Amino acid sequence: MEAAAPPYLVPGRDLRLDFFRGLALWFIFLDHIPNNVVSWLTVRNYGFSDATEIFVFISGYTAVIAYSRMMLREGWPRAASRIYRRVWQLYVAHILLFVAFTAQIAYVSISRNTPELIEEMQLLGLGENPYRAILEAALLKYRPVNLDVLPLYIVLLAGFPLALPGLLRWPYFVIGLSLVVYAVTLHFDWNLPGYPDDKVWFFNPMAWQVVFYSGAVLAVVAADLSRLDRWRQLVTVLAVLYLLFAAFIALSWQYNSLERLIPDWLARQIYPIDKTNLDVLRFVHFLSLAWLVRLTVRPNARFLKWRLFDPIRRCGEHSLQIFCLGTFLAVTAQIIVAYYEDSIVSQLAVSLAGLAIMCLAAYGASWFKAGPPAKGFVA
Amino acid sequence: MRQRALVVLAGLVMAGLAVPANAEMQCRASRELLDVGNPLDIARTAVADDRELRIVALGSSSTQGYGASNPQFAYPAQLKMKLEAAMPGVTIHVWNKGVGGQDAEEMIARMKTDVKPEHAHLVVWQVGTNSAIRRTPLDKFAEKLRAGIDLGQSLGANFVMMNLQYVPAVVALPDEEEYARVMSDVAKEKHVGLFNRFAIMRSWYNDGMPYAQFVTNDGLHLNDFGQKCIGKLLSMAILEKVNPKRLTGGANTPH
Repeated sequence: MEAAAPPYLVPGRDLRLDFFRGLALWFIFLDHIPNNVVSWLTVRNYGFSDATEIFVFISGYTAVIAYSRMMLREGWPRAASRIYRRVWQLYVAHILLFVAFTAQIAYVSISRNTPELIEEMQLLGLGENPYRAILEAALLKYRPVNLDVLPLYIVLLAGFPLALPGLLRWPYFVIGLSLVVYAVTLHFDWNLPGYPDDKVWFFNPMAWQVVFYSGAVLAVVAADLSRLDRWRQLVTVLAVLYLLFAAFIALSWQYNSLERLIPDWLARQIYPIDKTNLDVLRFVHFLSLAWLVRLTVRPNARFLKWRLFDPIRRCGEHSLQIFCLGTFLAVTAQIIVAYYEDSIVSQLAVSLAGLAIMCLAAYGASWFKAGPPAKGFVA
Repeated sequence: MRQRALVVLAGLVMAGLAVPANAEMQCRASRELLDVGNPLDIARTAVADDRELRIVALGSSSTQGYGASNPQFAYPAQLKMKLEAAMPGVTIHVWNKGVGGQDAEEMIARMKTDVKPEHAHLVVWQVGTNSAIRRTPLDKFAEKLRAGIDLGQSLGANFVMMNLQYVPAVVALPDEEEYARVMSDVAKEKHVGLFNRFAIMRSWYNDGMPYAQFVTNDGLHLNDFGQKCIGKLLSMAILEKVNPKRLTGGANTPH
């Protein structure tokens, strides 16, 4: 058996990661604008899972790639320190986003005399008890409107140093453990506390960790996947059938005539498709998609390098900044659409403008990261 | 290669099916469906005499606003906005006491702590969905409703029960209509109001409104449109009783 090196030891960047993470960031932005006609382009309308799964999965995959080599070379303490530095960066980014997000709404409330809009955009809890809300925001318990994803990522990454040594040595044990935690969480309905007191985390970290660790484990054992290739056709057929089934169900939400075709006994098995605790239907949907992507998109696939897709990849490379910017801009878009006019044209305009700003920011970040041009170039 | 082409083709077909989705339909309900069947005398007196209306929305995730993109879109906050707009000069309070996942029994336990301190004139009690999902026996469910109403009425408030939402996860249940029926029966027996959310939302569906317009992707919770619309219709139903003068011939007349 030829020993293919696991992905975390292969030098160079897997372009698929940047591409699909960039795509997920675009989708998250588009989906965060309510009733956005452009969000028809995003995955969530064609099945159970959405961009969140893609983002969390790739985050797990890249976490292994980023920190495992460091651990092998420099030891666990240094790798763990680097991970916690990253956790700190995420935390700072989240708090900054919280402030910017709130300030944006406060600005609109103060500068525009549109009481209905102000009231609609008001953040419940912040106005009632601002001191408490600030404290709870710092503790990640208060996460108003759309600020749920980064806290999930923070918690997942904070637990990652503990899992990293085990991941490299016993990856199958780690994914087994992750599945057990997922199952137990679903069974006992565990979640972390939120604010106000009776709320819980919209993305339950103890359930969503299974997506993160699926990505992480695959970064270690990707070569073993070729063993599945013996049943490649069977797995592919099952995946395609499942995706078609999910697409049919998703389309039935748009067409009552399709909806009436779904028998009650089947609907009883399907619904509700819980997002907070990552319904199994969502997870399997994502895995089916990932399987088809593995088959159809090679790490060095030519289209990944097309100039047309350069903006998407750039966004994926600077995912933290672009994610924060996208969340901020989604609210801007929402305000603009609500304040001026709600039409297909305005939705299209704010969507395109937002994506353009995100891409500009990504190119700016790349330019900055590249540093000053080499001296010889000037001479 | 052929595989890839197939995937692309499937994607295009699906996109083609989905894009020309139905244009958004209006939020509405017939006048009969909006009749809560109770004069809401305590609330009406409070509005007329004290120019004040204190409402507690007691319920589960629908009340809390799970599924809405902003807590302000949840029906209690919408109710407050609509009542304020319709009755200028009347101070409106709406307390949102929704806790996700709770059923009748758990909410009764909160009546003393969550409802009593607010001295409400009106309690909107959103209940039934979680009981139906958990398959609480119907007679036990009815008993809990009676106990809750007795306890709540002893606090000096009018009651309007809000029944189940008409969504895929509820419609798929074998006996969801039985739970709705029990709520109607108990409302009549105890002389309290009933906001027939189930029938109202079913009328949306039967008029051709797709689930995607008012339900989130989980098939259970109301989305922004659903929440706002329920808030608007509930405000109309309450205004009809509390402030009937305004509605005759007014712009808010339901069609």
